[in-house]
Amino acid sequence: MTPSFTTASRLLGRVVANEALSSSMIRLDLDLEAPTGFLPGQFCMVNLEGGSRMPLSRPLSILRTEGSRLSLLYKVVGHGTRLLSEAPVGAAVRVLSPLGRSFPERDDDRPRLLLAGGVGLPPLWSWFERYGRKGDLACFGGRDRDDVPWGLIPPGWRVSLDSAEGGAGPAGMFVGNVVALAESLLPDDAPAHHVLACGPVPLLRAAAVMAAQRGWNCEVSVEERMGCGYGVCRGCVVPRPAAAGWWTACQDGPILAAADVDWERFGLPAAEALAAYSDGPSCSAPAPEASA
Amino acid sequence: MSNRYPWLTIDPAGPFNLGPRTFPGRVWTASGCFGYGLLGDDISAPGRADPFAGIGTVVTKTITAAPRTGNPPPRVWATEFGALNSIGLENMGVERFCDEVVPRLVERGIPFVASIAGTRPEEFGTLTRRLVVAAAAAPCWHGVELNLSCPNVARGGVDFGRDPLTVRACVEAARGETGDRVVLAKLTPNVASIAELARAAGEGGAHGLTAVNTLVGMDIDLRTGRPVLPRRRGGYSGGAILPVALAKVDEIVQETGLPVVGVGGVRTADDAAKFFAVGASAVQVGTAQMDDPFAAADVARALAAQ
Repeated sequence: MTPSFTTASRLLGRVVANEALSSSMIRLDLDLEAPTGFLPGQFCMVNLEGGSRMPLSRPLSILRTEGSRLSLLYKVVGHGTRLLSEAPVGAAVRVLSPLGRSFPERDDDRPRLLLAGGVGLPPLWSWFERYGRKGDLACFGGRDRDDVPWGLIPPGWRVSLDSAEGGAGPAGMFVGNVVALAESLLPDDAPAHHVLACGPVPLLRAAAVMAAQRGWNCEVSVEERMGCGYGVCRGCVVPRPAAAGWWTACQDGPILAAADVDWERFGLPAAEALAAYSDGPSCSAPAPEASA
Repeated sequence: MSNRYPWLTIDPAGPFNLGPRTFPGRVWTASGCFGYGLLGDDISAPGRADPFAGIGTVVTKTITAAPRTGNPPPRVWATEFGALNSIGLENMGVERFCDEVVPRLVERGIPFVASIAGTRPEEFGTLTRRLVVAAAAAPCWHGVELNLSCPNVARGGVDFGRDPLTVRACVEAARGETGDRVVLAKLTPNVASIAELARAAGEGGAHGLTAVNTLVGMDIDLRTGRPVLPRRRGGYSGGAILPVALAKVDEIVQETGLPVVGVGGVRTADDAAKFFAVGASAVQVGTAQMDDPFAAADVARALAAQ
C-alpha cells in the first residue's frame, strides 16, 4: 500500500522532461525533493524558480505520480504556460501539490462514462488507470488526428475528432464532439452510467445536459482563472445554481456535481459576465451614501 | 545584526513597537492574499514548520459591515510581470467574522490585524467597535487596517481614499473606538501626492500607514480585443510594482516621518530589506503569498538567518 499524499505540500524540484505528446499537448515530468501522490482529479500549482519565475503559479492537472516523480499534462494557453513550455531539462521548479477535490472513487457497480476533451485527459486517464473496468465507456475528443496523444490513449478508449482532415492516426474516426460520440454508442435504454467529465466548458455543459436527460449522476471538473490554488484569494469562483453564491474551483472543486453548477453563468467570457450577474450573486456594493 | 545588510539600523527579525502595540515580527501577510488566516496550516514543506512560522501578523481579508458576494469571474489574471485582480471585496461580513473567524485565530494564537472597509467614515468606527467587542481580550489581535483604496468597488473605493479629508475622517472614526489597538490606514498609490494622504491620516490619529495598495491596471485579450476582467480595470500587483511601492514609502517617510508598513512586490528578504532601507517598520507579502503559501514565512526565515 503506497501512501496517498492527498494533502498539499510545497515541493521544490527540477524538470526531467518537457515534451510534446501531440500538436497541443505537452507532458511535463518533474523530479521533486520528496515523494508525492494524488487522487484522480486533483491538480497542482507550478511555478519556475529563478529568473523565469511567473507572478503567479499556474494550475496544471496531474497525470500520475511515482515516488518523487510528478507527471503533468498541459497546453500553451497564455504567457505562463508558454514560459513553462520553454523550460529546459534541469530547470528549477516549485509545486504545490496535490490540491482540490478528486473524482469519486468507484463505489458501486454502475458503468462509468468518461468524457475527456483535449488537455482534460489526465484526471480521467488516472481515474481509469485506478478504477476502470470492463463495461465502462471512455471517450476522448481532440481537434484532429495530430491533436490526439495517441501513445497515451488506453486500449478500448473511443476517440472523436472535430475534424477528420489530415494528420497521422487511425482512419474512420468519429467526427463530432465527444458527447455526440458517447450518445451514438449508448442507446436510449442503456443502463444508468455515472458520468465523469473533464474538458472545455462546452463539453462539460453537454455532458451535464446528457446526464440530466437520462437521469444519470454526473461529475465535472471545472476550470476558472486561478490565483492561489489553495483557497486564500477567492479568485476562481464558480457560480452555484439559484444565485446561491460561489464555489471555488481550487477548494470546493475542481470536481463538482454537475447539478451544483449554474450552467447559465459558468464559464462566460469577461465581456458578458457583468450583464449576466446583474441580478445574480450581486457584484454591487451595499448602496454607499455620500461620504464626508 | 545582519551581515548581508550591515547598514540596517533595526533588527529585521525581532519584535518591534508600532503605536501602542508590540508586534512579534516585521514580515506580515497582506490583506486579501492569505484569506482570513485560517487556511494553509495543513500544507507542509520539507524543512519547514508551517506557513505561519515567523509571520509577524496576518492582515485578514477585508471585511465590511454586510457580507459581499464580490465580482463575477474571471477575477484574477496573470500578466508577464505582475498580477491583476478584481475580487470585489467578497467577504463574510463583520458579524460572521467576529463569530467564526476571530475565535479560531485567537485559539491558534495567530497575530492578526483586521482589514476593514466602509462606505462612510462612521462605518470604520462601527466596524472597529464590533471588533473590540469580539477581540479586545485577545492579545494576538493587534488592530485594524483601513482599506481606503481598493480600486475594485464600483462606488466608495478609490475616490473615497483619494480625498484627504475623507481619509482623516475614517481614521478618526476608527481611532475613537480602538483603545490600545493599532490603527493603520492603507493608502492608494493612484494619486499625485501620497504624502498628503499620509499626513491627513496622521492628523486623524493613525499610528501608521500601509503603503501601497494595488495600482490600477488592465490587460486586453488579443483574441477578442476586450479587457480580460469584466470590470475592465483591476488592481495590479506583484514584483513589477516594487519600485513604485518603494518610492511611495520613501515619499511618505521623507515628507511625514510617520511609521509605514511597506507592501508591493515583496518576494524575498532582499525585497524586504529595501523597504527597511527607506524606513519602513515592517513589510507585507501579498501576491507572492498567493503564489506560495510559504512565501512570507520564507522571507521571515531568510531575514532571521542574515
